[in-house]
Amino acid sequence: MIPLSAQGISLQLPAGWEGRIGLRTVAGPAAAARSAAARSAAAEPTSPPSARGRSALAAAAAPAPLSGENDGIGGRLFPVTHAGNFALPPDRGDFGSGAVDVMGESGVLMALVEYGDECVGTALFDHPRPVPRVAEFAPDTLQRRISGQLGYQRFFTEAGRAFCLYVVVGSIRFAPTLLTGTRTVLSHTTIGPRR
Amino acid sequence: MTAAVIGLSVVVAALTVLVAGLLRSHATILRRLHELDPAGSDARSPAGFPAQVGGPDFRTFPGIPAPSGGPAPLPDPVPGAPAADLSGVTPTGESVLVRTTGMTTDTVAVFLSSGCSTCQRFFTDLADRRLSLPPRTRVVIVTKGPEEESPSAILEVAPPGVDLVMSSRAWTDFRVPGSPYVVAVDGRSGRVKGEGTGPSWEQVSRLLARATGDLGYLTPGTGTEHRHRPTGDLDREARVDRELLAAGVLPGDDSLYPDGGRPGAAS
Repeated sequence: MIPLSAQGISLQLPAGWEGRIGLRTVAGPAAAARSAAARSAAAEPTSPPSARGRSALAAAAAPAPLSGENDGIGGRLFPVTHAGNFALPPDRGDFGSGAVDVMGESGVLMALVEYGDECVGTALFDHPRPVPRVAEFAPDTLQRRISGQLGYQRFFTEAGRAFCLYVVVGSIRFAPTLLTGTRTVLSHTTIGPRR
Repeated sequence: MTAAVIGLSVVVAALTVLVAGLLRSHATILRRLHELDPAGSDARSPAGFPAQVGGPDFRTFPGIPAPSGGPAPLPDPVPGAPAADLSGVTPTGESVLVRTTGMTTDTVAVFLSSGCSTCQRFFTDLADRRLSLPPRTRVVIVTKGPEEESPSAILEVAPPGVDLVMSSRAWTDFRVPGSPYVVAVDGRSGRVKGEGTGPSWEQVSRLLARATGDLGYLTPGTGTEHRHRPTGDLDREARVDRELLAAGVLPGDDSLYPDGGRPGAAS
């Protein structure tokens, strides 16, 4: 196990896993889009994950600016953690676009994406950290469908911080083994106060 | 008579040399056999000859599969130095762990620094999207850590779309003598399979091709071209926003809500 730590998030990565903890600078409207998309989803907790945030601009039409956020110009920083059992490419989207394309059927990608403080305590995020199970993975949970891949997305709050856990496995055939590794990484992940 | 004696002497001398050569060859063969089966030589027969203990010790060279249930392969005759994983930060402050060992992907670690003039050419070369690499091979630029290297200076020259790790420990782990320096690591074995330096990536790629025997470093099209990944989610969001705005579709436009439901309406 090799430790990886930043932004109050610490992981222990087993052999064959690598990871990144970064801060994504989200431009004003896009920041509003992401948080507003989550907020709108929080208002409708029964809607499927794939139905959320279809258009960044549509979500950006949320009425009021978010507290503590610049008014559409300054942007805001969100920690994004990626871990996977393959060589993570340098250019990756928050939810693994660019990485899942090169992952292969025996690969797994885990993304831990933090949302703004305004999401803490909302219905969508008001859950403890989940433990993914094979039966909960589905192809329509993927941000973008890729043949054979299955996705998993849950929202939770920990240490007063709102997160989305997003996991993609390369194939159902390897899913049990891949999830064993993912659960190991998750069990060795600690989230503390933001630093 | 004298001629006969001289002739016989020459024959005897020649035969003596021949017998000595045969004895030496025989001794070499016995020594090599002893090296192959050292255990057998421990239990000696009363006559002093190695006794056969169990079956013959059958081993294969690296890369040749051993029979099932057989003993382990012979060790690599020229093993590369063990590699280390790359743990550090990026110039933008991300925390990074790049595995070079235990992976199906090979890694070419390019050790560079901002103050080295030769390194500037590497930074430029590595930004070339047509850079050729063998399949399942990636390039990672490694600079010294922020305590010894300026992140802002690195940020100015770092090619986009190429992994970059700032880690002084990596320089120590790989015993890098100076910059620029390139180390190719075999991901499966976790060992260095080639290393060296040169004035440009072109020169270094030739060196790597010779060291690894992989022409993917040299010929565009034979290996995997070094490609930058497409833009990420945020870039795509920004692009979509720009295009919609350019088309006159502003936030809140009715056309964005074909089903009539506005996301802000319920909150």
